[in-house]
Amino acid sequence: MYFDYAVVLTLTLIGIVLLAGLMGLQKLLAPSNPFARKLMPYECGEPPTGNAWINFNVRFYLIALVFVIFEVEVAFIYPVAAVYLDWVRRGQRWFALSEILIFLLILFVGLIYVWVKRDLEWVKKVPD
Amino acid sequence: MNTLNLANLGFAWLPLLPLIAVAVGAAIILLVGVRLEDEDSAGLGILALGVLLVSFVCTLFTIGVNAEAFGGALLTDDYTAFFEIVIQAAAAISVALSLDYAADNGLAGAEYYSLVLFAVLGMMLMAAAGDLIIVFLGLETMSIAVYALAGFVRREARSSEAALKYFLLGAFSTGFLLYGIALIYGATGTVHLDGIRAAIVARAASQPYLELGVGLMVIGFGFKVAAAPFHAWTPDAYEGAPTPITAFMATGVKLAAFASFVRVFMIYLGPAAAQWSGVLWVLAALTMTVGNVVALVQDNIKRMLAYSAIAHAGYALVGMTAAGSAAAVLYYLVAYAFATLGAFAVVIVLERRATAGLRIADYRGLAQTRPGLAAAMTLFMLSLTGVPPLAGFVGKLYVFAAAVDSGHVPLVVIAVINSAISAYYYIGVIVAMYMQEGTPEIEPSGASPGVLIGVAIAALAVVLIGIAPTPYMNAARDAFAAAAGPPAQATAFAR
Amino acid sequence: MIAVIVFWTLAVITVLSAMITAFSRNIVYSAFALLGSFAGVAGIYLLLGADFLFIIQIFIYIGGILVVTIFAVMLTQGVADMNISNRIVGLIPAALIALLAGAVMLEAILRTPWPHPGTAALNPTTHAIGNAFLGPFLLPFEIASVVLLAALIGAIVISRQAARAEA
Repeated sequence: MYFDYAVVLTLTLIGIVLLAGLMGLQKLLAPSNPFARKLMPYECGEPPTGNAWINFNVRFYLIALVFVIFEVEVAFIYPVAAVYLDWVRRGQRWFALSEILIFLLILFVGLIYVWVKRDLEWVKKVPD
Repeated sequence: MNTLNLANLGFAWLPLLPLIAVAVGAAIILLVGVRLEDEDSAGLGILALGVLLVSFVCTLFTIGVNAEAFGGALLTDDYTAFFEIVIQAAAAISVALSLDYAADNGLAGAEYYSLVLFAVLGMMLMAAAGDLIIVFLGLETMSIAVYALAGFVRREARSSEAALKYFLLGAFSTGFLLYGIALIYGATGTVHLDGIRAAIVARAASQPYLELGVGLMVIGFGFKVAAAPFHAWTPDAYEGAPTPITAFMATGVKLAAFASFVRVFMIYLGPAAAQWSGVLWVLAALTMTVGNVVALVQDNIKRMLAYSAIAHAGYALVGMTAAGSAAAVLYYLVAYAFATLGAFAVVIVLERRATAGLRIADYRGLAQTRPGLAAAMTLFMLSLTGVPPLAGFVGKLYVFAAAVDSGHVPLVVIAVINSAISAYYYIGVIVAMYMQEGTPEIEPSGASPGVLIGVAIAALAVVLIGIAPTPYMNAARDAFAAAAGPPAQATAFAR
Repeated sequence: MIAVIVFWTLAVITVLSAMITAFSRNIVYSAFALLGSFAGVAGIYLLLGADFLFIIQIFIYIGGILVVTIFAVMLTQGVADMNISNRIVGLIPAALIALLAGAVMLEAILRTPWPHPGTAALNPTTHAIGNAFLGPFLLPFEIASVVLLAALIGAIVISRQAARAEA
C-alpha cells in the first residue's frame, strides 16, 4: 500500500534535490560581490519606500472565510462522490443523490445569503 | 451492504421533526430577512417564535415514545422531550426579550434570529444525542452560533471582547471534549453511548485511555456549564453579550450542556462512576464557592447574575455526584432557568443603550417607579436564593436530599453554607429596590410587550413550579427513567 | 525500514516547525512555520494508512486554514512594525503544566495495551468513509452541513461590519 505513495516520496525528494542542487550550484559558480545598493529590493528602478509587510485589506479575509467553508464542504462530498457509482449500481441512486442534494441545499442557503447580501462583491457599496 | 436502505439505517421522521422544523425555520428567516432593514427585525422575531412553536408541537408527538433512530445516534425518549421542551421555552422567552432590543440596537435581524434557531438546533441535538459524534456536532452548532451572537454588537468594544474570550476559551474547551471523545473511542472502539457502556461493563475498555478520555470530557463539559475552575470566560462573556443573548447563554446553553453531561455521565458512564464522581465532587464544591463568593463584590447586575449562574452550575453538579438524584438535577435546572430568564428580562427593561442602568445601584427605588417589575424581580431573586415556596427552594431541597441520601453530607453542608452566602447578594438587589431612594435620572424607559410577557411567564413559572412541584418532578423522574431504562427497541421506527 | 526513516523525518519536521510557531519572535514567521507542522502531520497520516485524512490535511489545513491564518496575521494592525513578538507569559507555570500533561499522556500511552489492527487497516479509506456517510453516519453528515452554514453566517456577520467600515 505504501508503494502507491512511492511516487509522492520520489517527487518530493526530486523537488528537494533539484532545488538544493541548483541553489548550491549557483553558490559555487556565480561570482559573489554584494553591496548595499545591489541588495535593495527591485521595484522597477524606483528606490523602495516603506515596508514590504503591509496590512491586507479586511475584504480578503471575508472572501477567504467563505472559501474555507465551501472548501470543507467539498472535502465532505469527496468521499461520497467516490462511492456514488457503487450506490447507483446497487439501485440506491435516488437515496444517495438526495442525501448529497440535501447537504448541498443547506449550504446553498448560505451561498444565496452571502450573494444577496453582496459579501462576495469586491468593492463594497455601503447602503447608508 | 446490499440491502442497505432507509429502513435498516433506522431512518425515522418522528425524532427528526422538531430538529427539521428549527433548521428549516432558520433557513427561511435567513432568506426572508436578507432584504429587510435591520430596524424591521421584530417581524422576523415573531416568525422565530412561530418556528419554535411548530418545533414544540412536533416534540409533543415524541412524548412517551421510547426508541432510537439512525442506529442509536438519536435517542427519542422522555428525557429528550423534556429537555427539548425546556430549551424551546428558554429560546422562546429569549426571542421575546429580543424583539425590541434587537430592533432598537440596530442588530441585523435575519442573522440574529437564524443564529438563535441554529443554536436551538444544536442544543436539541445535544439533548437527543445517542452517540458522541452527535454530542460533538450539537455542541459545535450551538457554540458557533452563540459565539457570533455574543459579539453581535460590533460597535461595542465589550461585545467584541465577550465574543473573543468566549470563542477562544470555547474553542479550546471543544478541543478538550473532542480529544476526550477520541480517547474514549480508542478505549472502547465505539462512539455509541450504548456500546461504550457495554464495553465498560464487560471491562473491555483500555483503562488508562478511558480514564483520560473521561477526564478530558469533564473539562469540556465543565467549560460549557461554567464550572470552576473553567469559569473564567463567564463574567466577561455574559457582561459583554447583548442582554437577551446573555439570558439565552445562561439558560439554553447551560441546559443543553447539562442535558448531554447528565446523560453521558450518569447513565452511560455510570458503570465507571468511581472514576469521575470524586472529580465532580471537587468541581461542585469549588464552583459553588467561587461563584457565590465572587458574586458578593459585583456591582454590575449582569456580572452578578453571571457569577450566580456559575454558582447554580455548582448546585446542579452536587446533584450529579449522587446516582439517585438525576431527576432532581433536571427539576433544578428548570427552576434555575426560569428565574434567570426572568431576572435578565428585568435587566433588559432597565438597561438603556447597553451601558447605562446596569449597576445594582440603578435598581434603587424601583419599587416606587415600577412596582410590578420590582415585585417580579423580588420573586426571581428569592427563587435563586432558595426561599420557600418558590421553585428554586424545591429544586435545592430535592438535590440536597438526594445528595444526603447518597452519603455526600459534607458536600451538602458546603452547598447550604453557599446558599446562605448567596442570600446576601440576591437580597441586596431587593433591598436596593425597596429600601433605598432612587436617583430620578435612572427612570426606566417604557418596556416593550415582549419583555413584559417574558417577565410574566417567568414569574408564573417560578411560582407555579414551586407551589405544585409534583407534576414537574414526576416529569423529570419519568424522563430520567426513560433514558436510564432498558435499551430502546431499535425496531420501533424501522419502517 | 524506509517507513521508520520517513516517520522520524516527518516527526522532526513537525516538531521543529511547531517550535518555530511557538517560539518565533515574529508572528509572520510563526504563521508560515505552521506549514511545516501541517505537512508533517499529513505525512504521518499517510504513514498510518489514513489516506483520506492525508488529502484533507493538505486540502483543508494547508490550502484553507493556513491561508486564512496568514490573512489574519497580515490583517493585524501592527504587522508593519516588524517587532511584534510572541510574548511568553509565565514561562515557568506553562512549562510545569506542559510537563504534567506530557507525563499523564506518556503514562496513558505506556499503560495502554495496543491492539495491532493488522494490514487490512492499511487499505484505502475513502470508499469506507463515503459508505459510512451514506450509511450509519448519514445524520452526522447532514448536520455537518448545518454546522458549516452556522459558521458561515456567524463569521460573515462578525467580519462584515469591519469590512464595511473600511470600505
